Amino acid sequence: MSVETTVNGEPEEQIETEWTEYGFGGDAAFSVRDLDVYYDDDRALRSIDIDIPEESVTALIGPSGCGKSTFLRCLNRMNDRIRAARIEGSVAFRDRDIYGTDVDLVELRRRIGMVFQQPNPFPKSIRDNIAYGPRKHGDINTGLLSRLLGGDDREREEELVERCLRGAALWEEVSDRLDDNALGLSGGQQQRLCIARALAVDPEVILMDEPASALDPIATSKIEDLVEDLAEEYTVVIVTHNMQQAARISDQTAVFLTGGHLVEYGDTDQIFENPQSQRVEDYITGKFG
Amino acid sequence: MSASHASSATIEDDRSGVARSAATTAVGLSVLTMLLAVANVLNWITTDASVASVALSTLYGVALAVAGVVTVAVGLLSASAVIDANANDTSGVLSGLPVGLLALSVVGLVASQTLGYGVAIWAPAALVCAVAAFLFGSLAREDLTATLPWGGFALFVAAVLLAGVITPSWTWDPRHLGVALTGTITVPCLAFAASLATAWAAAKATQGFGARGRQAGAYLLIGANALFMLSLLVLLVAFVVEKGAGHALRGIHLGPGLSVHVPFVMNGAGLGYDIDGVFPAIVGTFWLVFGALVFAVPLGVGAAVFLAEYAERGRFTTVVDIATDGLWSTPSIVYGLFGYAFILPRLSPGGRPNVLAGMLVLGFMLIPLVLITSREAIDSVPDAYRDASVALGVGRWETIRSVVLPAAVPGVITGIILGVGRIAGETAPIILVAAGGLNADPIRVIHGFRFTSSPPFVANDALLSATNALPYQVYAVIETGVGGSESFGWASAFVLLLVVLCFYAVGIATRMYFQRKLER
Ligand SMILES: Nc1ncnc2c1ncn2[C@@H]1O[C@H](COP(=O)(O)OP(=O)(O)OP(=O)(O)O)[C@@H](O)[C@H]1O
Ligand SMILES: [Mg+2]
Repeated sequence: MSVETTVNGEPEEQIETEWTEYGFGGDAAFSVRDLDVYYDDDRALRSIDIDIPEESVTALIGPSGCGKSTFLRCLNRMNDRIRAARIEGSVAFRDRDIYGTDVDLVELRRRIGMVFQQPNPFPKSIRDNIAYGPRKHGDINTGLLSRLLGGDDREREEELVERCLRGAALWEEVSDRLDDNALGLSGGQQQRLCIARALAVDPEVILMDEPASALDPIATSKIEDLVEDLAEEYTVVIVTHNMQQAARISDQTAVFLTGGHLVEYGDTDQIFENPQSQRVEDYITGKFG
Repeated sequence: MSASHASSATIEDDRSGVARSAATTAVGLSVLTMLLAVANVLNWITTDASVASVALSTLYGVALAVAGVVTVAVGLLSASAVIDANANDTSGVLSGLPVGLLALSVVGLVASQTLGYGVAIWAPAALVCAVAAFLFGSLAREDLTATLPWGGFALFVAAVLLAGVITPSWTWDPRHLGVALTGTITVPCLAFAASLATAWAAAKATQGFGARGRQAGAYLLIGANALFMLSLLVLLVAFVVEKGAGHALRGIHLGPGLSVHVPFVMNGAGLGYDIDGVFPAIVGTFWLVFGALVFAVPLGVGAAVFLAEYAERGRFTTVVDIATDGLWSTPSIVYGLFGYAFILPRLSPGGRPNVLAGMLVLGFMLIPLVLITSREAIDSVPDAYRDASVALGVGRWETIRSVVLPAAVPGVITGIILGVGRIAGETAPIILVAAGGLNADPIRVIHGFRFTSSPPFVANDALLSATNALPYQVYAVIETGVGGSESFGWASAFVLLLVVLCFYAVGIATRMYFQRKLER
């Protein structure tokens, strides 16, 4: 291992000694053990061990390209969709290995929602974007057949659309044009629409990849409020480049550094006030990264 | 231009303004000359005609001389800094190459043909001149290389035309070439080439050379190209319309009530009709295309979905790719023979031609194109849409059905439009598997359906009878002289054009509908 060196030129061993074991009182939503991810021959994550607790906000921070998105995608197995990706190690969600053979991927991804780094609304109307998931899961029926049988859920759909849009701090801006195409929204609006869309299927966990990177301060603070609200019922894992944001909203913070190392993980207050490792302190205070 | 000499700068600005308007005039003159030359090639004006009592080739000569002089003059003035310009100091190889080629051909032709030197003299002379021109064209200032060679060429052509070296009665019959060039075609072609050259050069001069000048030149060339394409299309359509519309609209009258009766379109052919028409052929073409679509679109799109979404990219998909590309470029007569030898004997006793076989064969021809274009369309749907849907816990097939396919529909329809254009005009396979003379009555596919008491419970005799189709009708009338005059064939071609345009219109409208749904 001493052959490999990091950006700073420090030998890798030193990093591992900096790593401190961290335990939680409550249940772990995710228990990740010895997770390695490779893209072809490039190793994007190295031996990640982490427990992510239920009903709290966990922030992932670290410099660009250090594997935050990769890690996030491991949690709902979206990495399986990348041809080059290879995953080793285990990820357990509520004590069940999600990389086991008997896992229903569709169900898993329904329970673990995701907001992507790039906003990716469907080329459909705003309403259809939000109602898409519930309609596909049969929670809402607006088809011709259900209309004929009298089970028309339009009203419920209206409610759902409004609730999700309000949750994502978008309702005021789009309430009068729900039938317009979502591609006509601005980048920040699209991002909030994607958050609303993820809320609509009522997942148990929400993975967010820099949800506020294209937002103005007002919308950002709305999203931050939303995240804090969500954490009362849901488990939220959020990637952010904004230190203040991580400090404000998260309960735990995990710091990744270049090369795919999880260098430090612990209570947000502790990480920001008293980091164990010099490199993490440098990163947080902006000396490196 | 230095700001300290304010007065000289304004004078220079004035001069530049004059030079630029002169260049603009030269562009206009050259474009007019080009149009005249095109009209001449199309024989709207004959080469030995005269316009306002001036012989056409004299007219060309004068116009080219003026344009050439203006071009050369602007170039020289710009190079000697009399007028304002922002030309580059050297022009580069790309500008040198055409100049070299121009010199090679002009010097070569003049030395060998006009002056009559042997190959030992003209070939080296041409080569030396070409190299010199190439060097000049690559290394000299841009305003010189952009104007002098081309303006010079125009002046040269003008001299040739005005001196009567090449007249309408001139012919050139090279020994080793199978064709003879006559003055009637050479004169307009020369005039066209020279005026295109001066138009290009002068267009650059109007913007003072440099990047903006090149932009103007490119704009002119691209515009000329687009215009040329468009006129070719218009010419083709106009030709068919001119030949066919008269006959096709013969005997048109307002029928009972508000209806219009167009005998050629609504009648069959035979003893019972005052004017023979192509209605059975129209109906036949419609059913053939419709049947082919019903057969090919689901199969093609289905295969495309499988290949694009499910199949692992590997040897299998490569083989399928090669096979579909090959099938698409297979000549239609091969499909026709396949249908004749394989499908016909299995569909009807005695292997009589029938509509169903025609639908199948045209469908086979259509499948590869639908497959290729649909796959392309599906592949170009961004992965972000699929990821978004999958991350919401929606299954793979639901994702394809609700997100991928709707986004791919416009591309799929484009493929279908192209395919219909091909099969609607297909003649060879129809002759072999579906055609049965210029019959008087249209096939009645819808009325042909009968229910039977034994399996397969439906029968349709119309599908198993032979039909006529528009391309076959054109072929039969023009080529073998079956069933009437040549104008009957032209009128059929005209109607075929209209029918295909109708298919296009339907396709394009559908595509626009789906595109709008994706965008707004
Ligand atoms: N689809 C992929 N194919 C190949 N390599 C990839 C792929 N996605 C990510 N990588 C590589 O994996 C490493 C980690 O990427 P990742 O996207 O997880 O970084 P990140 O921490 O999210 O960065 P950012 O903050 O810029 O979003 C990078 O070196 C990247 O080049
Ligand atoms: Mg990322």
